Amino acid sequence: MNPTTPADVDRTRGHVPAWSIKIVLVLLVVIGTTGCGATPPAWFRLNMVEATKQKLTPDQERQVATLLTAMFGTPDDPVALPESGLDEAKLRLAAGPVRSDIVGRKNGLYREHCAHCHGVTGDALGPTAAFLNPYPRDYRPGIFKFKSTERADKPTHADLTRILKKGIPGTSMPSFALLSETQIDALVEYVKYLSIRGETELGLIRAYFELDDDAQGKLPETREFLVGEVLEPVAEKWKTAADALIAVPEMPPEIDLAASIAKGRELFYGDKANCVKCHGPTALGDGQANDYDDWNKSIVEWTKEVVGTDDKSWANRAHRVLDGDSLEPRTIPPRNLRLGIYRGGRRPLDLYYRIHAGINGAPMPAAKGTIPPEDIWHIVNYIRSLPYELDGELGADRPMVARDRF
Amino acid sequence: MIRRSTKIRSTIGASATLAVLLASQVAVADDWGTIKGRFKFGGAAPTAAELKADKDVEVCGKHKLLNEELTVGADGGIANVVVFVRDKDVKVHPDAAGAKTPVLMDNKDCRFEPHIAFVQIGQPLTLKNSDTVGHNSNIATLKNPPSNSLIAAGAESNLTFKAEEAIPAQVTCNIHPWMKGWVLVRPNPYAAISSADGTFEIKNLPAGDIELQLWHEKAGYIGEISVKGKSEKIAKGRKKIKVAAGDNDLGEMVLDANLFKK
Repeated sequence: MNPTTPADVDRTRGHVPAWSIKIVLVLLVVIGTTGCGATPPAWFRLNMVEATKQKLTPDQERQVATLLTAMFGTPDDPVALPESGLDEAKLRLAAGPVRSDIVGRKNGLYREHCAHCHGVTGDALGPTAAFLNPYPRDYRPGIFKFKSTERADKPTHADLTRILKKGIPGTSMPSFALLSETQIDALVEYVKYLSIRGETELGLIRAYFELDDDAQGKLPETREFLVGEVLEPVAEKWKTAADALIAVPEMPPEIDLAASIAKGRELFYGDKANCVKCHGPTALGDGQANDYDDWNKSIVEWTKEVVGTDDKSWANRAHRVLDGDSLEPRTIPPRNLRLGIYRGGRRPLDLYYRIHAGINGAPMPAAKGTIPPEDIWHIVNYIRSLPYELDGELGADRPMVARDRF
Repeated sequence: MIRRSTKIRSTIGASATLAVLLASQVAVADDWGTIKGRFKFGGAAPTAAELKADKDVEVCGKHKLLNEELTVGADGGIANVVVFVRDKDVKVHPDAAGAKTPVLMDNKDCRFEPHIAFVQIGQPLTLKNSDTVGHNSNIATLKNPPSNSLIAAGAESNLTFKAEEAIPAQVTCNIHPWMKGWVLVRPNPYAAISSADGTFEIKNLPAGDIELQLWHEKAGYIGEISVKGKSEKIAKGRKKIKVAAGDNDLGEMVLDANLFKK
């Protein structure tokens, strides 16, 4: 694999790298002798959006790919460096093509259950991704929405397990409750692996800009830099996620529900909590609706840059990347709170987490520090009452179109 | 896999040699110099477009809101050009080290004041809301944990950063989408944001070779400047200068209108 032009890199990216053809040939010989249907090796896709954004040269793109393979292995043969905190045995159960191992245990769980939407790389560019609304999660930026930790913190293992078991209502993410605990555990570990790998990749790509001139555009290939400076800060956040869960005080037991709902309603419309600004005066999600989440926003912002640039050859390349490695950006509608469908879980506790910490990656801000815990419980109670309010309570002044969406 | 990790280890020796080389280059500087200069727009000064407040109109609609992506004064001075020293380990003047005074970023009249705030690592950034409507400050940092907190009318909260950012991080208010500001986080006091007349000053730099990073939100890394009609291409917005003890005037740096086309 020694491509010399960007076009060559493009060709190797989407398809099979030239040198892997040799492996395929070897495999064909193996298949010829064993007669069993082996799957061709799978490869991680490079984060072409970020690489192109940072104007990496083909040599630099190759260096990133090589370093990542050294640190994380391949989709068929994952590697967990000790500093990653990942359990390689679990990764092996989830990785690779769908098959049975020597004791008849099913392997390749990620490709069986997840990859068609989330992509082999966890880049949310699987074959079905474009047809889904909302799009599947791209794990690579390391941002997750539904969790029991503070806004900027990683989800815990239990948070991701919960998402896999319950699914995400209102989206295409189904429940995998029928899988065994071991299988779910392996998949959660694999999602973490893809996320740590993706965030490490971002770190590597962004590190080129900060190189001094005498580095000649090449990242240092030292353990100190790769593991110490790039991998460990990412892995550390995952390792410590469960140490700082949001402390949720009990809902005051003597609380009168009707009074609490009334208080919550006041807060919802008040200018301290300001829920009304986005979720709308009817709570149908008809407030501020032209905002983007972080994943889509980065594409929107970059597209502006690409359209505005004078550098035609870079713009051509960037347009190809936007076409092939990103999905059409979509705005994020604030949640309609009258449907009784809660993506991050319907327990009062889940709603408390969402309000307290906000939703990472989404416009929803954190109430922490502004709204006292007791008031958050009042808002939770009001929100839980919304799906069951009588139609008339929406108010006669509300437009019919809003009521139709009720 | 085993072979590859051996390769990683074998390069540690090379990096140790590099560290020795770098150490020998650190000059002992006891002389300090101050740099100043001015950014001027190369072309007819554009007028900033007016923004329409479509949220909280009764409060925000009272103020004249302008698109602040590119602010050029009547005399051609460019405001909000960011200049900072690229070297993270640059020697710091004893008087300037460890700033603790909080830097204010106010939500005032439904815009951020200042448009770009500069804080050092560990120095508090006070997010304040002087308006009568609620705001939130969504800060898209890359090396620091991103944050997005509600700031009720009249309230304020402090935020500190643990790592430096290579470029300013964008600050937005999700409730009022026209609101855009920036926060620059650096590990030392050597940064400046050009004022309304395009001038900037960085005090007490160690004398010697310094690499400045020039950035503007519309132009990105500034790739070309011209001084006294002489144009200079600067790769990645990195301008190398020699700082002499005392005052150093970089003069009037003209940034061509084409740089701001994005």
